[in-house]
Amino acid sequence: MMIAILSTLIGVAMGFFIQRVRASSPAMIAKNLRLENLTVIKFMALTMAVGMVLVYGLSLVVPQILHFDVKPTYVVGVLLGGLVFGVGFGIGGYCPGTCAVGIGEGRRDAIVAILGGIVGALVFTLVYTTLIDPIVKMMNLGKITLADVLHVNPFVMALIVGAIFVAVIKMLPDNVGKRQQ
Amino acid sequence: MSSTTAPTADVPVPMKEAPKTPWVFYGILFGILGAVSIIVWGPIGVSGTYPRVIGAFFRAFDPAYAEANPYLVKVGSLFKPETFILVGLLIGGFIGARVNREKAPKCEMAHPGETSNAKRYRDAFIGGFLIVFGARIAGGCTSGHIISGITQLSVSGFIFAIGVFATGILSAKMLSSRRAAGA
Repeated sequence: MMIAILSTLIGVAMGFFIQRVRASSPAMIAKNLRLENLTVIKFMALTMAVGMVLVYGLSLVVPQILHFDVKPTYVVGVLLGGLVFGVGFGIGGYCPGTCAVGIGEGRRDAIVAILGGIVGALVFTLVYTTLIDPIVKMMNLGKITLADVLHVNPFVMALIVGAIFVAVIKMLPDNVGKRQQ
Repeated sequence: MSSTTAPTADVPVPMKEAPKTPWVFYGILFGILGAVSIIVWGPIGVSGTYPRVIGAFFRAFDPAYAEANPYLVKVGSLFKPETFILVGLLIGGFIGARVNREKAPKCEMAHPGETSNAKRYRDAFIGGFLIVFGARIAGGCTSGHIISGITQLSVSGFIFAIGVFATGILSAKMLSSRRAAGA
C-alpha cells in the first residue's frame, strides 16, 4: 500500500516535470527529433547525468538502500525494439508515458495514442511466443553496465559519463539555426 | 485552409515556435526523482503496464488464455509500481496544465502533413502502436531503458537510445519534407 502511494506520487511529480518542459507535446517532440529545438533531449540528458552521479555516489555510502535493476542486454532485441520505437516516436510524437501526461492536459490525440499502444500490446502478446521470444534470446549479454564492460569503478564511470553529457548539453544550442544569446 | 475568422474545430493546431522552458531546473529535479525511485523500490518504468492491461483483460474474460500465454504470465498483475506511475503521470499532466493556467491544444499537429484531425489521429494511433510494440521487444521504453537504464549506466539503455534516435530523427525529418507535407 505504501509503495502504491509513493509510486503514484513519483508519477505525479514526473508528469508535472514532463508537462512543464513540453515533452508531452507531440509538436515539441517532433521539433526535437528534427533537431530544430533540443531542449527536451537536453532535459533528458541532464536528468540522466544528475541521476547517475547521485545513485552511484550514494552506492559508495549507503549501498543497502538502493534497488538497482539493470535490464539485460539482449543486443538484437534491444536494438530492434529501439528502431521500431523510434519510428513510432517520430510518427506520433508520444512515448508510452508522455501520452498519459497528454491526456491529463486534455489532449485528444493522446487518448488515441494510448489506444494504439493497447492494441500494440495486444498484438505483441499474441505473437510473443512465435516471433519475439526467439529474437530476445539472441546475443543476450546479461545485465551489464558500462562500468562492468570497461572495468571502471561505477562512481568514476558515472562522473565521466555525466561530465560528457553536461559538456555536450553546454555545447548544443536550445534552438538550432537561429542562435540566441 | 478556410478563410473564416472562427477557428475551425477539425484542424490540428500547429506549433510555430518552440516555447522556452525551464528544462535545466526540471532536469535536475527529475534526476533526483529517479534516484528517489531507486531508493523506494526500483528504477522508474512505464511501458510494462500496457501488456499488464491486456493481461487483466484476459484474466477477466478468458482466464484460461491468460494462464497459457507465457508473456502474460511473465508481466504479471497490474498491482505494480509502474501502474501507479502511469496513473500519476495523468494526474501530474493535469496539475501542470492547471496550476500554470495552460490549455493544451486538443489536437496538435506534429508534422506539416497532418492537415486534418483524422490524419493527426491516424499518426497518433500508428505511433502509439509502434512505441509500445518496440518497447516490449526491447523490454523498456524512454523511462525504463533510456532515463532509468542510462542512469544506471546499463549497456542496454545506450543501445536502445541509439536505435530510438536513429529512426526517430529519420522518420520525423522524412515527415517534414515537402513531399510529405503535400500528402
